[in-house]
Amino acid sequence: MKLELGYIQIKDIQFSKECKVENGTLYVDPDAVKAFMYEEDDVKDWVADFKFDIAKPGESVRITPVKDVIEPRVKVEGGGGIFPGVVAKVDTVGSGKTHVLRGMAVVTAGKIVGFQEGIIDMSGPGAEYTPFSKLNNFVVVAEPKDGYQDHKHEYERAVRLAGLRAAAFIGEIGRNVTPDETQEFETLGIKEGIEKYPDLPRVAYVHMLQTQGLLHDTYVYGVDAKKTLTTIIYPTETMDGAILSGNCVSACDKNTTYHHLNNPVVAELFAQHGKTLNYVCNIITNENVYLADKQRSSDWSAKLCRLLDLDGAIVSQEGFGNPDTDLIMNTKKIELQGVKTTIITDEYAGQDGKSQSLADADPLADAVVTGGNANEVIILPKMDKVIGMLDYVDVIAGGHAGSLREDGTIEAEIQVITGATNEMGFNRLSAR
Amino acid sequence: MESRSTYLVITNNPLVVKCMPADLAVEYHDVTYREVLVLVRDMVYAGHRLYTHPLSGSVKPNETPYKSIVVSKKPKKMEMDEAFIISSSIETFDKFTPIRRELPERVLKDFRLIDYTLLCGAVGLDAVAGLSNNK
Repeated sequence: MKLELGYIQIKDIQFSKECKVENGTLYVDPDAVKAFMYEEDDVKDWVADFKFDIAKPGESVRITPVKDVIEPRVKVEGGGGIFPGVVAKVDTVGSGKTHVLRGMAVVTAGKIVGFQEGIIDMSGPGAEYTPFSKLNNFVVVAEPKDGYQDHKHEYERAVRLAGLRAAAFIGEIGRNVTPDETQEFETLGIKEGIEKYPDLPRVAYVHMLQTQGLLHDTYVYGVDAKKTLTTIIYPTETMDGAILSGNCVSACDKNTTYHHLNNPVVAELFAQHGKTLNYVCNIITNENVYLADKQRSSDWSAKLCRLLDLDGAIVSQEGFGNPDTDLIMNTKKIELQGVKTTIITDEYAGQDGKSQSLADADPLADAVVTGGNANEVIILPKMDKVIGMLDYVDVIAGGHAGSLREDGTIEAEIQVITGATNEMGFNRLSAR
Repeated sequence: MESRSTYLVITNNPLVVKCMPADLAVEYHDVTYREVLVLVRDMVYAGHRLYTHPLSGSVKPNETPYKSIVVSKKPKKMEMDEAFIISSSIETFDKFTPIRRELPERVLKDFRLIDYTLLCGAVGLDAVAGLSNNK
């Protein structure tokens, strides 16, 4: 399967009555975006209104509470459409050509639950912890209809779909734009790959998906991944939005849809493909709460690693606590099949960094990449403008009563910042 | 998946008591999150099977006051891996800095809802349908 990504560099976003990309500026009509979002019945039923704003790198702006971050893309050649099974029909994606509006994102924000977190600061010390401070952000703030308090599942779905629809609408604006740069990604069949790279180690990416319940879910071609068994997916399918985030808790280490589209493990494995390794495929597996599900899913991961004759696997997790058990089960069982593993996680090592980092461990998990300690305390300065609302800052993870101080500064752990300790490694913390 | 009739939900979440189907046994305790973990640890040590992960959800243990865990109704034989999971969950709980704050009712309500939906997701119940019992 082969996919060409065409990157259209977006340097600025302007509201306009006309929708177009010209000289690197995206002109977009918010009313047209809104109309497209409201074509979805769930959105009509549960969202009273959307407010739009633009946040640019370096501005004194805080976006909170963030639900999802999504990169606009459009399929211009090949089967299926962007976000299959949710916005487009459920056809297989991952081949042909896709245009990417690079340097920007759609950010959905607004209240869903009373403890919701997720801060993106566009400048100051907080901006250094989130990759999204470097993007031009088209922010959509959703306002729920009365009565949503007793219909949180329906409202969450409505906001999730609205964000994806906004990104699909904006992606479409790039359909006929000539990309500034193109890049090709190809995954060969098993036999072809062995014949072409007989001497290179065979490596796959075991991608663990957050699958626990409301605000803790991930969708694969529209299917709630907690109801699936471990399976194989072409890496390029993920670049067309086959995996979508329904995860809205633990801002620092949730994988937003932007992360799934731009998975850094996929990018790095493709960069090494044919040089130092043979990148075989992605294995997607879930992180269910039921212990027998964990047993079944991790058994399956290990079976697939063996069946694919892998030499190595990169394993990434998503979330805190419960997924640590899946991470260790996967790693241990894959190692016992004779396949070397490296895991990517983050740490909850206490504010002093002295505690055990994960809720589970095993001697076979001896190669670890960390995204950082989510308990580290940070003071975020007051920003001139808030997009969204600060109502929740006192009750977010890592915040406490008094988190929002009288002078407008916020004292909290870095777990409040969207993407700060991302467990795919898509973050800005580094010891390099 | 084991039959629902073998489950016992240990919880401090009143919403779970209201919304679980009649054929699912629920034991409510008016205790803290940590005390729920300790109750379950003692049951697992006594041979009850641990069916769901004690640290379900990404809501941190010092954030939410609510926790529901499913164990087997009847004690069998202690499983070492399950005993390890519940005891290391208590260690994980203890490393979080306690937060002293009064949570408003609307926030407590959402924490109850999340704990309830995580439980439903774990045992394959329709969370939305169950909420209709919360009258």
